[in-house]
Amino acid sequence: MAKDISRRNFLRGGLAAAAGVAASPIILPTAAQAASGRELCTLLDLSKCIGCEECVSACREQWQPTVPDPVSPMPRPFPAKVPVQDWSGRKDVSDRLTPYNFLYVEHLDVPHKGQEIELHVPRRCMHCLNPPCADLCPFGAGRVENNGVVHIDPEVCLGGAKCKTVCPWKIPQRQSGVGIYLDIMPELAGNGVMFKCHRCLPLVEKGQQPRCVEVCPEQVQSIGPREQILAQAEALARAKATEDGASPDKWQDYVYGLTENGGTTTIYVSPMPFAAVAAAIEQNHAASAQPGRGRAARAKQGGRKKKRGFGGRPPMGPVEDVMAKADNLSLALVLAPVAGLAAGFTRLFGKKFKADDGDSKGEAA
Amino acid sequence: MSKHDYSPGGRVAVWLYGIAIGLALFSGFGQMPLYNRYYLTSVPGLGWSGNFIALSELHYFAAALFMGLVAWRLALDTRAGGTWSWGPRSWWGWSLIALLVLSGGAKALRNAGVFLPPLALMLLDFVHLGSAMAFMFSGLVSLFRPRKKQYLRGGLA
Ligand code: SF4
Ligand code: SF4
Ligand code: SF4
Repeated sequence: MAKDISRRNFLRGGLAAAAGVAASPIILPTAAQAASGRELCTLLDLSKCIGCEECVSACREQWQPTVPDPVSPMPRPFPAKVPVQDWSGRKDVSDRLTPYNFLYVEHLDVPHKGQEIELHVPRRCMHCLNPPCADLCPFGAGRVENNGVVHIDPEVCLGGAKCKTVCPWKIPQRQSGVGIYLDIMPELAGNGVMFKCHRCLPLVEKGQQPRCVEVCPEQVQSIGPREQILAQAEALARAKATEDGASPDKWQDYVYGLTENGGTTTIYVSPMPFAAVAAAIEQNHAASAQPGRGRAARAKQGGRKKKRGFGGRPPMGPVEDVMAKADNLSLALVLAPVAGLAAGFTRLFGKKFKADDGDSKGEAA
Repeated sequence: MSKHDYSPGGRVAVWLYGIAIGLALFSGFGQMPLYNRYYLTSVPGLGWSGNFIALSELHYFAAALFMGLVAWRLALDTRAGGTWSWGPRSWWGWSLIALLVLSGGAKALRNAGVFLPPLALMLLDFVHLGSAMAFMFSGLVSLFRPRKKQYLRGGLA
């Protein structure tokens, strides 16, 4: 899978080596962990999914009780610029992501080659390889484990929703009135806790399977070391492309999550190109944005509020690597001090030292 | 400690050093989702300050400029003792910079895809925040303290 050896994977190894930390027992490049089979990845074969939502029920059963109920009355943020978000009275909602619902299934009729093809797409966090949600969390609440799981520590999260803002799919969902911010300055800072799929971390750590993988009657999902899953995904996508009458070389059109946002550990394979799936999802969302309902609807009507999230129902179009520029800039972090030291030791610009008091001791050396 | 006040790079370096610190502090504190909440993003011309990705890139840029200048000064320091018209003047200032560079560097490594234990990273996040605040207050004290005293004590704070 040469195409998949991205600059970042190269950088991972390179930076670790440059820092001389590769041999440390606690610091290992993620790529090396993947090679050692510890970075896990899931594969979703969408042609198998019948849309029964057993996975959704299992996830809700397992994890909804772990999401606390808010205090009452809820603290009112001051100034009132940030919205209080309370899903505690709508725990039954299962057709979108909410703080109490980490997984939903998008039911689609995808127009393809003159036919409408039924397709069901389970949606949750993609567990990105370089997740902006965790990388940019200022408090370390967003975490990346060495098994590839990206999760949010509910004991530390203040609910500022920055992770949602920077997530290209707007996955994390806020529940106000819960969490540690209540013990600090609830009116002035923080606004709850962000929740999302943690790929069943407490179970996976014990060697068990994620609930949604385990209960699926059609074995839609497989989970395993990333390299192995990627090979499996490529083989499957080649077969799907061939069945669809396309060249097997076009297999990447039938895969989602491989390169999106610089690569994820959630790989979807579909029986038709993902461009068609993305268009069907967009149409689905536009149809459900009824006039007068929600932010998306107001945006659609050209209303005052701009569309900021996706209403808990992420799109499936191409996604640029959010952290790409930061990757490039990290090279500057290494080069700048090296250049500074070199300039200093060679007394570049340093010959003009002047003593304020007019003293003649102006040379650097 | 000598009484000489060296000014490598002259006014340009002083300004660059100040700009690097200003930008690093602004983009650093902006990593907390406060600028939108407290209407800074509504100030004409500051709408971009709500863009976390842009702020993060600005933080990288400011950090690179800052580390370049500090490394240059450090190298010059080894060749000529004395006090300087810019940069840290005491072990306290150098220690804070060391903490900032180490904790920030660890975070940058993680952002480049290197695995670091999440709990250690959280600790480093707070070390970074704490040392940035200490650096800011020490800097302010140093700026507003009569210059003579600085030389006598030879300190940033
Ligand atoms: S993934 Fe499995 S459990 Fe979930 S909806 Fe599809 S078939 Fe049902
Ligand atoms: S999909 Fe969003 S929330 Fe999930 S890991 Fe990626 S950036 Fe984070
Ligand atoms: S992996 Fe676990 S937490 Fe994530 S959607 Fe599946 S069941 Fe829910």
